[in-house]
Amino acid sequence: MNSRERVQTALNHKEPDRVPFDLGGTPMSGMHKIAYKNLRAYLGLPEVEIRVVDSIQQLAAIDEDVAEILKIDIHNVAPRSSAKYNLEYRDEGDYTAYTDEWGIGWRSPKKGGLYYDMYYWPLAQYDSPEEIEANYTWPDAGDPARFQGLRQKALKTIEEGKAVVVGSLCAGVSEMHAWTRGFEKYFTDFYLHPDVAEYIMDKVVELKMIYWENVLREVGDLADVVIEADDLAGQKNLFFSKEMYRKYIKPRHTKLFAFIKARTNAKLFYHCDGALVPILWDLIESGIDILNPLQKSAAGIDYAAIKKEYGDYITFWGAGIDTQRIFDQGTPEEVREDTRRNIEIMAPGGGFVCTTIHNTQATVPPENYMAFWETLQEYGVY
Amino acid sequence: MSLEAIYDAILNGNAPAAKAETQAELDAGTPAETILNQACIPAMTEVGRLFEIGEKFVPEMLIAARAMNAAMELLKPLLVEAGVEQIGTVVIGTVAGDLHDIGKNLVAMMMEGAGFRIIDLGTDVAPSRFVDTVKAEKPDIVAMSALLTTTTKSIISTIEALEEAGVRDQVKVMVGGAPVTQDFADKVGADGFAPDAGSAARKAKALLGLAA
Repeated sequence: MNSRERVQTALNHKEPDRVPFDLGGTPMSGMHKIAYKNLRAYLGLPEVEIRVVDSIQQLAAIDEDVAEILKIDIHNVAPRSSAKYNLEYRDEGDYTAYTDEWGIGWRSPKKGGLYYDMYYWPLAQYDSPEEIEANYTWPDAGDPARFQGLRQKALKTIEEGKAVVVGSLCAGVSEMHAWTRGFEKYFTDFYLHPDVAEYIMDKVVELKMIYWENVLREVGDLADVVIEADDLAGQKNLFFSKEMYRKYIKPRHTKLFAFIKARTNAKLFYHCDGALVPILWDLIESGIDILNPLQKSAAGIDYAAIKKEYGDYITFWGAGIDTQRIFDQGTPEEVREDTRRNIEIMAPGGGFVCTTIHNTQATVPPENYMAFWETLQEYGVY
Repeated sequence: MSLEAIYDAILNGNAPAAKAETQAELDAGTPAETILNQACIPAMTEVGRLFEIGEKFVPEMLIAARAMNAAMELLKPLLVEAGVEQIGTVVIGTVAGDLHDIGKNLVAMMMEGAGFRIIDLGTDVAPSRFVDTVKAEKPDIVAMSALLTTTTKSIISTIEALEEAGVRDQVKVMVGGAPVTQDFADKVGADGFAPDAGSAARKAKALLGLAA
């Protein structure tokens, strides 16, 4: 059984030979460049120039030597950027900054900064769809440069026996509303400017459909997993009420996910952190096949109860180790204990791809990463 | 026109109504302090309670705070004029290395809604800025937020900086943010922790020995 068969078996809710393992297959299961550098040194691997594949989160590209040693089953054939956009970092006093292809400004403190966070929102100043229409240019989602070489990358991945994961154009439908408007406007738009919220989300759905149309024309027959995301929950509860989600978000997800699934048999991977249990059935109805990462430390996330109630309907991709509470501060022994318990609950019957609950942060010691990985080798066998 | 109408307007996040009702109440001769204490603060306290139990969410909290601000624009000058003192001063900020502000802003809004004077230092606040502000403003509470697991370490260095500057005992320290727990708060020697913005305002009052 090769990696691709292992992943496909798990995604079809059957037990493969062992639990599939992901590192770097998605922008939510990667590793910060500092942790990656430390891990390479710990494994006795030569120093290499670390390539950053996600500028916001400063995630490292996982090199082939690490992929081989750790027996990673997944490969992300991320499409490229639009030719109309060029990432340029600039110096802004105490910060390093850049602007993305949506016009969103991101910056990181020079002192102690590990990630980039938003500080400029291009649509914050426009409180009507007409103003946005008149003043803002949306990115070109269908720029052919994005899709160049995509099919070859997917074919090569299959040749290497790995599962093919394809990344998305941008963050989620409602997230892009937040990221272009700023968080306060995003939250209050639902009351004060619902027309703006709906206009932006409709536009994002439209751009995503153009993107997926192109991507899936290239690799719809080869992809095993396609990635979408939309963070809708915090540590304790949903960002907004279930009613509001059902009115504004769910219909748009349903439309987009149906569009994608009409063009590929790949499973739909959906990322949402936090306390999302109140809308989990709704998300399944909207068409998701895979839920990432199942944030263990959020309210209401009881692995055994969730596996029992939802495990026949969706695959859990994540659920390996609690990155928020244990991974960077715990001992290797605590890491082993958490990982072992998670695998015991999640593995039976398949429907589980093991990875860290969100990215491995800069401060995670390599000893802890390997404690997680070794525990998976030991207990993740069917 | 009534205190109840102001209360309802704030609770429901109706800023124009909050403003109009407040103006009407003032025109009828009700003192600003009465409006603040019997309509505005109770409304925000109720918003916090409903948020805590999961019946209101971030959008409702934000529009309620917006309605409160609309009323406060009319009340503030009158409160100053009448020499009404706020119940305490809170210096609040997101710690060094962390640029997230929505959670911190919600806590600030809810504390303001509870009657505190707020000095908001923004995000990525160096320990030395917290120290300098404590020296200059003599607040009752220093409230620190961290959204990232990695930046919770800045909470520790800020508390250390307050200790080194000899001002730690002059203030109550509150901590919060997604990765922060009561356990963590105890470990780093904070005086208070709250898991959300609604309970943060309640906790702040409790720390100062004020009735909830």
